[in-house]
Amino acid sequence: MGQSPNPDWMNQWQDLSRHYLNAWQTMSRNPVAMPGVAASPWPDGFEQWSRLFTSGGGAQNETIDRVIDSAKGYAAFMQSLLGAAGHGGGMPPWTELFRSGFGIPGADAAAFEHPMLRALREMQGQAAPGFGNGFAQALGALNAFRAGPSVPAANLGELKAWLNLPAFGLMREHQEHYQKTAVAWVEYQEQMGRYNALMLKASQRGFELFEGKLSEREQPGRQIESLRALYDLWVDAAEEGYAEFALSQEFREIYGALVNAQMRVRAQIQHEVERVAADFGMPTRSEIDSIGERLQALRREVRAGGETSSRGLAREVANLRSELAALKASIGKPARPAASAVQPPEAKTQPARSKPDLKAVSKPKPAAKVVAIEPALALVAPRHRKPRKAKRERNAKRAVAATSTFASRIAKFADASLGAGRPHALRKTKKKQAKADKAKKKR
Amino acid sequence: MGPIKIEPAKAFEEVLTTQRKLAAALKTLREVDDVDFGVTDKEAVYREDKLVVYRFKGERPPTAKVPILIVYALVNRPYMVDLQDDRSLVKNLLAQGEDVYLIDWGYPDRADRWLTLDDYINGYIARSVDAVADRAGVDKINLLGICQGGAFSLCFAAMHPDKVKNLITMVTPVDFHTPENMLSNWTRQLDVDLFVDTLGNVPADLMNLCYLMLKPVRLNQQKYIGLIDILDDKVEMENFLRMEKWIFDSPDQAGEAFRQFIKDFYQGNKLVKGGLEIGGHEVHLGNVTMPVLNVFAEQDHLVPPSASRVLGEHVGTEDYTQIAFPGGHIGIYVSGRAQREVPSAIHAWLAQRSR
Repeated sequence: MGQSPNPDWMNQWQDLSRHYLNAWQTMSRNPVAMPGVAASPWPDGFEQWSRLFTSGGGAQNETIDRVIDSAKGYAAFMQSLLGAAGHGGGMPPWTELFRSGFGIPGADAAAFEHPMLRALREMQGQAAPGFGNGFAQALGALNAFRAGPSVPAANLGELKAWLNLPAFGLMREHQEHYQKTAVAWVEYQEQMGRYNALMLKASQRGFELFEGKLSEREQPGRQIESLRALYDLWVDAAEEGYAEFALSQEFREIYGALVNAQMRVRAQIQHEVERVAADFGMPTRSEIDSIGERLQALRREVRAGGETSSRGLAREVANLRSELAALKASIGKPARPAASAVQPPEAKTQPARSKPDLKAVSKPKPAAKVVAIEPALALVAPRHRKPRKAKRERNAKRAVAATSTFASRIAKFADASLGAGRPHALRKTKKKQAKADKAKKKR
Repeated sequence: MGPIKIEPAKAFEEVLTTQRKLAAALKTLREVDDVDFGVTDKEAVYREDKLVVYRFKGERPPTAKVPILIVYALVNRPYMVDLQDDRSLVKNLLAQGEDVYLIDWGYPDRADRWLTLDDYINGYIARSVDAVADRAGVDKINLLGICQGGAFSLCFAAMHPDKVKNLITMVTPVDFHTPENMLSNWTRQLDVDLFVDTLGNVPADLMNLCYLMLKPVRLNQQKYIGLIDILDDKVEMENFLRMEKWIFDSPDQAGEAFRQFIKDFYQGNKLVKGGLEIGGHEVHLGNVTMPVLNVFAEQDHLVPPSASRVLGEHVGTEDYTQIAFPGGHIGIYVSGRAQREVPSAIHAWLAQRSR
């Protein structure tokens, strides 16, 4: 640790860098004006390449953009690492690198900035044009605090206290809202500071692991002999270090607090945008959401009704048809059962030879929905023969029993037709009917 | 002796080679066509809102009498199971004689913001299952749930065991609170009510970036460094672009369903702890009494194996089989080994249960 760089190695490195740049310029046949040796020739070389790919479009170009971005990071990382290691191939002074503020491009805490947070900040079109910027512009007083983590925590606390002062007067409500929004913003900055500090620790942990992995490679035969191998080893270490933190309770708490804080700011901004939209007579997101919610609820109701009628009712109708056919048969008149009807078990037990009392059969009046069934009932009118009295009475009893089952099924059918939410009217009808039946019996 | 023994000349050659590859990429990219996916011929057999159920057509008629319905996750597009000619779970299942259907959820928009898990599971999936069963002339079908679709399939099978003959789950999270589950750790202290009330639907980009953050350096940088090696190979480049397209071709998430999924599955872990209710129905894994085949990936960074392998302890079936596949969350569909092993394992397992 702390060894001075090997001057020969460094000179050789500078020569090669110059040579590399010349070779690259020749190969690309696109000489670029770059006097002398650039400070970071490798990443600059990739930068030149990226310009060549700017024409055209489509997914390929997007991929190439990613490749070149990664290649630039990779090259910068390699150049820095090898620069740090340029002291005869010994262990580089990693600890010194940390203390000097992460001079290695692509290897600092920013590599771990959570893309989710970035995406949330940058998300367009959802009430906040360029999340952070839009808000900070709206609240000029906070512009000084846009830097966020660089603002000392004590200052943020003072600002929060100031923002919690009570509001007065005609514009009280508005002022209170602005203050609440500003407090949310300050809290978000506080949480961002905590998150960045944690990521810095994760990055440092990655380098500790990297050192450990390097020390395992000191034996001959296990040494790292290519840039790619060195890079891959660093990636392994960085991922391990990051994973330790990302799986921790501490990360869970800090990350949750950060996202929640950000959502509170967004919600406040949306509220303000809605207020302005309402002033201009524009429809707001809340209104549209409210319509959407009602529409979805209505669709569920309709579908629930539809499903009952399509499957349940189809079966019910088939059963009713069978029973009807059985009933017809029971009064001695051959009936034509529906072709698709399945004979229900109870229908098979119906007497096949008796004729019901027409009055008893026709009495139960189902709800309006089942009116269409009534003409079918008319078909069961008895022929005008005169059976013996005892037999007639027995048959009438049987018919009443069969009709009672039939009536209850019809009521069920009507229930289903009206949907589960509207059985009330039907229940009333049934009650009325029962009352009438009772009164009749008394008579 | 130090750990780094990189000769400057060799390092220089490495960088120069990288530049040569980039130069060759200019030519390769001119030759690469727009990548296509979904290679197997199919027909739509059921449609509802944005959902379409497809039936895939094999080179010969299926020999299996009971069809398989694939239920994919909401968070990615389902063509991963039929990505390209030599990487297709569907094609290989068809070749084994299976009759394969798939639910394509489409891309939810703001009109779908109020769709709940009940709408998805007891609505869309239930009606898709009915449609497939009616078409095949059977009472029960085989369900193949993948990832989040696997969790949905488990719920469906628990609530409607009479409609599922055999259940196959692939890379399916069951226990959401195992210590290796990074996504779960990130969601545990999220105020998901505030999150959904604020965002409405959850944007696809947000979801994608979250997945990338599971391995930030590897997925955002190292992967593309590796790509440089194949920049001059047209076929490899097309394969890469196809996969890349799939990874970032993600639908937004319907807000209400997302809210419930995070609350009940990720935060409450109710699938194993109990107390999960969907549309007023209790979901109890003990009701999953049909034969179950659980396939998971041993190097899965999205759904850790520990989250999947506990399924056998919770389902009510006596006929439980699990296969630990050596690979990752995506490799289980697209790797060469997966092409050989996974479809044939599924087919053999089903065949044993169709006797």
